[in-house]
Amino acid sequence: MISLHNISKSFGAFAALNNIDLTVRDGEFLALLGPSGSGKTTLLRIIAGLAFPDRGHVRFNGEDVTELPVADRKVGFVFQQYALFRHMSVLDNVAFGLTVRSRAQRPAKAKIRTRARELLDLVQLDGLGDRYPAQLSGGQQQRVALARALAVEPQLLLLDEPFGALDAKVRKELRRWLRQLHEQMGLTSIFVTHDQEEALELADRVVVLDRGVIEQIGTPEEVYMTPRSGFVSGFVGDSNSLAVTVRGGRVQFEGRPLDLPVERLREGSARLDFRPHDVTLSKDGHGLPLQVSGVYRRGGSWRVEGTVNGSDRIVEIDLDAHAAPPELGDRLAFSITRARVFAEESVR
Amino acid sequence: MSARLPHQSRSAQLVLILVALAFIGFFLVLPLVAVFAEALAKGLATYGAALVEPDAISAIKLTLLVAAISVPLNVVFGLCAAWAVAKFDFRGRSLLVTLIDLPFSISPVVAGLVYVLLFGAQGWAGPWLIDHGVRIIFAVPGIVLATILVTFPFVARELIPLMQEQGRVDEEAALALGASGFKTFLRVTLPNIRWGLLYGVLLCNARAMGEFGAVSVVSGHLRGLTNTMPLHVEILYNEYNFAAAFAVASLLALLALVTLVLKTSLEWKFGYSHGSAK
Repeated sequence: MISLHNISKSFGAFAALNNIDLTVRDGEFLALLGPSGSGKTTLLRIIAGLAFPDRGHVRFNGEDVTELPVADRKVGFVFQQYALFRHMSVLDNVAFGLTVRSRAQRPAKAKIRTRARELLDLVQLDGLGDRYPAQLSGGQQQRVALARALAVEPQLLLLDEPFGALDAKVRKELRRWLRQLHEQMGLTSIFVTHDQEEALELADRVVVLDRGVIEQIGTPEEVYMTPRSGFVSGFVGDSNSLAVTVRGGRVQFEGRPLDLPVERLREGSARLDFRPHDVTLSKDGHGLPLQVSGVYRRGGSWRVEGTVNGSDRIVEIDLDAHAAPPELGDRLAFSITRARVFAEESVR
Repeated sequence: MSARLPHQSRSAQLVLILVALAFIGFFLVLPLVAVFAEALAKGLATYGAALVEPDAISAIKLTLLVAAISVPLNVVFGLCAAWAVAKFDFRGRSLLVTLIDLPFSISPVVAGLVYVLLFGAQGWAGPWLIDHGVRIIFAVPGIVLATILVTFPFVARELIPLMQEQGRVDEEAALALGASGFKTFLRVTLPNIRWGLLYGVLLCNARAMGEFGAVSVVSGHLRGLTNTMPLHVEILYNEYNFAAAFAVASLLALLALVTLVLKTSLEWKFGYSHGSAK
């Protein structure tokens, strides 16, 4: 079990992390999700021992490792650009963690080679051991980096934007495969990503970070369906925002009351967020007026974009792929079936 | 190369190439040929005799000794400086880089005079050194010191941009895999910079053996004792012993040529090995 207590870290005047508390359970697959500058990579590096917090503690199974350097933490770390040693063959790269051990702990040469070959088998790169990193594709390099990290038999695997440099198809395959590997080897894994889709698909729990603060921790379902802040709602999944006012316990948009079941309302101006699939369109004028400004196919559904009430505020709506899509310029009406209201922020 | 810019005429291209070739021919190739021609003008026997004469042998030995001391020291210094500048953030980093460049911008004569001022008989530490029987100026230590001062930017300048470009991530990867700092340096950093390092060493060595100005000031020109090859050439020349002067000079010229060939082959290898196999 990994626990972080009150972690803070600044780079000069820039506060990268502010009072982070987080517990990672054994066997968990955790995503650190956030935009660039949110502090997610810094947090991962602090867990690894590649960076050190200004304040706070890092504990592995209750033991304080805050000051322990990376070499002594026995974690596997996969770097964003893989950081493979370009002057070494693939096999030597994978074996590196074993060959640099002190003489007393180092397995025999033949044993190291066998182990490295096994790991290459595991990452499905058998037979490529004699190549050099530059001769491999991005996806293959990624798997070498993974095999190299696993050679030291870490309990904890840390991955910094593991799929960032790969094209979409390879990325999808690797994701699935990594998830399997995680289960198979009984690892605890933490990965950093700015891609919400990746976080939702892969992780047991998602930690959403913004400007050095944890905005929400939850399962993908929780983070998507019940975002705790406007930031989470906007960052995780597609989301529409309207500036509304709350008066007498009811939500009003430009003076019109909306028929919406919303909880815990504070009076005053607020932000109403709803997903593109939580909207129904109608032609008979029931709901808020919408003028269609764009229609395109998005896999299994239509995505309709329209401006609300003649303003320049754009709303995105998903329609069933089998329905007839509206025409550009059509004047329709929409009603929101499910929404959340956030008091704090203004509408972006 | 047949690639041309759209507005460039073929004749302009030709003129430029000819000018460059004529310039190089006149200022570089011609003198080099002249050196070897003069050296061998009185036959191989005279050439050989000029090289095995005791003062010449002593000058060659001293030159090798000075290079053997100053080059390794500058390698150590260059590695430390480049490592510090490239892999750590600290106050005064850009000042350090500027200071490393200093020997490039000051006259070697000044570099020599500095040591005379410090360690000479009339210098700050001079009397104390004389009392304790330590000779620096007009002796080998002074020559070594002056050579180090003049040559110390070579290795550092070569490594700093290289190490900055490579960043710290390879070292971090090695550390994360449990390697000690020393093993990380030996197995990851050093292989990454080996060609650049070798290149710097070559240039440093060529300059250390060829340095005249700074060494001339501190050497005292004692034949058979404190004469390096460049100084020996000058003495022979001043004595109108042209054949011998050019014979020794031809050795220095040969050193330059060997350096050039090695440097070019390194560049070739460097250029193609970067990021690819071996």
